[in-house]
Amino acid sequence: MFWSRQWSVPRLELWEKIMQQKKAKYSFLMMLCIVLLGIIGPWIAPHDPTKTYYEAFMQGPSKDFWLGTDAIGRDILSRMLYGTRVTLTVALLASVMTFVAGTLIGVTCAYLGGIVDNLIMRIMDIMLALPGIVLALAIVAVLGPSQENAMIAIGISSIPAFSILIRGAALSIKQSGYVEASRSIGSSNWWIITRQFIPNISNVLIVYTTMFIGSAILGTSALGFIGLGAQPPTPEWGTMLNEGKNYLREAWWLATFPGLAITAVVFTVYLLGDALRDIFDPKS
Amino acid sequence: MKQYIVKRLLSGIVVLFGLSVFTFLLIHLIPGDPVRIMLGQRATVEQIESLRGELGLNKPLVVQYLDYASGVLKGDLGTSLKTGRPVSTEIADRFPATAKMALASLVVAVVIGIGLGVLAAKYKDTPIDGAIMTFSTFGMSIPGFWLGLLVILVFSVHLGWFPIAGGTGLKDMVLPAFTLGTLLATALSRLTRAGMVEVLSNDYIRTARAKGMNERIVLLRHAFRNVMIPIVAVIGLELAGLLGGAVIVEQVFGWPGVGTLAIQAISSRDFPMIQGTTLFIGAVYVLVVILIDVLYALLDPRIDYTTKEGV
Repeated sequence: MFWSRQWSVPRLELWEKIMQQKKAKYSFLMMLCIVLLGIIGPWIAPHDPTKTYYEAFMQGPSKDFWLGTDAIGRDILSRMLYGTRVTLTVALLASVMTFVAGTLIGVTCAYLGGIVDNLIMRIMDIMLALPGIVLALAIVAVLGPSQENAMIAIGISSIPAFSILIRGAALSIKQSGYVEASRSIGSSNWWIITRQFIPNISNVLIVYTTMFIGSAILGTSALGFIGLGAQPPTPEWGTMLNEGKNYLREAWWLATFPGLAITAVVFTVYLLGDALRDIFDPKS
Repeated sequence: MKQYIVKRLLSGIVVLFGLSVFTFLLIHLIPGDPVRIMLGQRATVEQIESLRGELGLNKPLVVQYLDYASGVLKGDLGTSLKTGRPVSTEIADRFPATAKMALASLVVAVVIGIGLGVLAAKYKDTPIDGAIMTFSTFGMSIPGFWLGLLVILVFSVHLGWFPIAGGTGLKDMVLPAFTLGTLLATALSRLTRAGMVEVLSNDYIRTARAKGMNERIVLLRHAFRNVMIPIVAVIGLELAGLLGGAVIVEQVFGWPGVGTLAIQAISSRDFPMIQGTTLFIGAVYVLVVILIDVLYALLDPRIDYTTKEGV
């Protein structure tokens, strides 16, 4: 299990390594700040994100409204602060879904091999025939547009790629002597998978999951942007950009700040992923 | 070699078959009554029954699939609920616009991506390399639709150089192609850099440099030529992936392509159209990937296609 003693020792090392490497340290701290902002956002927001200020329709950034107001007089900054939580929650839950299902499928396929492996991998190939966003769109088309369904769609659409990557990593563990040894002394499949496979591919898991969180944020906001994700008046960043795209001429700030937020968060996540990869695999 | 190609084609057919099952099932996966959801709340019982009959939803599932599959093989993807026109006609009308933009974006991606990649490899571990790699990570983090909005904001709204959206002329194509191309260039530049760095560490490069050869020739003739084959493969994959990326970016620029068609279909719950566009995008992707794989095997004699697993 993850919390067993065998696992907690390398975890501490990872923490130290992150703090030693500059890129990892700063991207990690930045990520912490973003998550913190997602948590405390609603309390530090200067205005109510859904309140209409009748005296301030589509006002540019000012002292009262730091990032301006939208077409129906709502404060952009407050909406973005609330939106941090929405976007992060959707992306994180989608990634958890990908992580759990992808790891399960990937490790099981690698472990069992044979016909099960073949069958599942062919199904993954078929799902991979659709570019991720198109698969997500198809799922949203079936379930109907909403924030929860966007999350499910993004989560499911990343499973094929994730499980194939994990399967590859797990296959290399399968060849190793210690798995052979465990099996010969009669360890159960479950024990081998949870105590040997998963801890040994944990590095790969951490790096891939980080990268997938980044693309989940992009996917979430893309669905929001085309009106198939979180529905107005939910202050999701992609949805906000969708509302802002009709006022490019009148109000540049509507289509600028939420996008900047998405880019900054995804950039941080990718930097962290890159840094973690460097830590785990100094060769590449 | 022949064996590999045949195997590759066969596995492609299997994937296409699976894809058709997937798109066929889309309509059956809808929670509740699909016909009622497609027609909305105000539909009459007659309308619902007539559509149910038209879609053949009363027949057994296997029969329905066989009807669907035989239609697909004949190029019949059903009829759009919204326009009443055949789905295949609608897609055929839109595809040229998408293909045109995909090719234009690819040109942009190749020029920027390979250029930056070679530059980064040449100045490996210098600030130039660092800047290019940071730029590339940054490019990966920008949502395509937002980059699209930004270029419209700057080049159309403020500078007035290009039309905002809606047309399909050459001038209308510049901004979308630039947007999509830049997004693709980021991945391409990383790959080019990685390939170049590896090749540049070879002995023959050192020999070429030691004998005083012009650096440009070393880079372009000796090194780059060897990186080209994997790059070509990736470009092929990107071309296929462009179809996916274009779905969202088309939306920003009001580009009348297959992506816009697909999204309109989803918004209006036009299921025959959703099935058709999904199947079409998937099929194009699979065909392009197979083509690239086969070309790759033909081009590079070093690839051992007998052991390569047909994916």
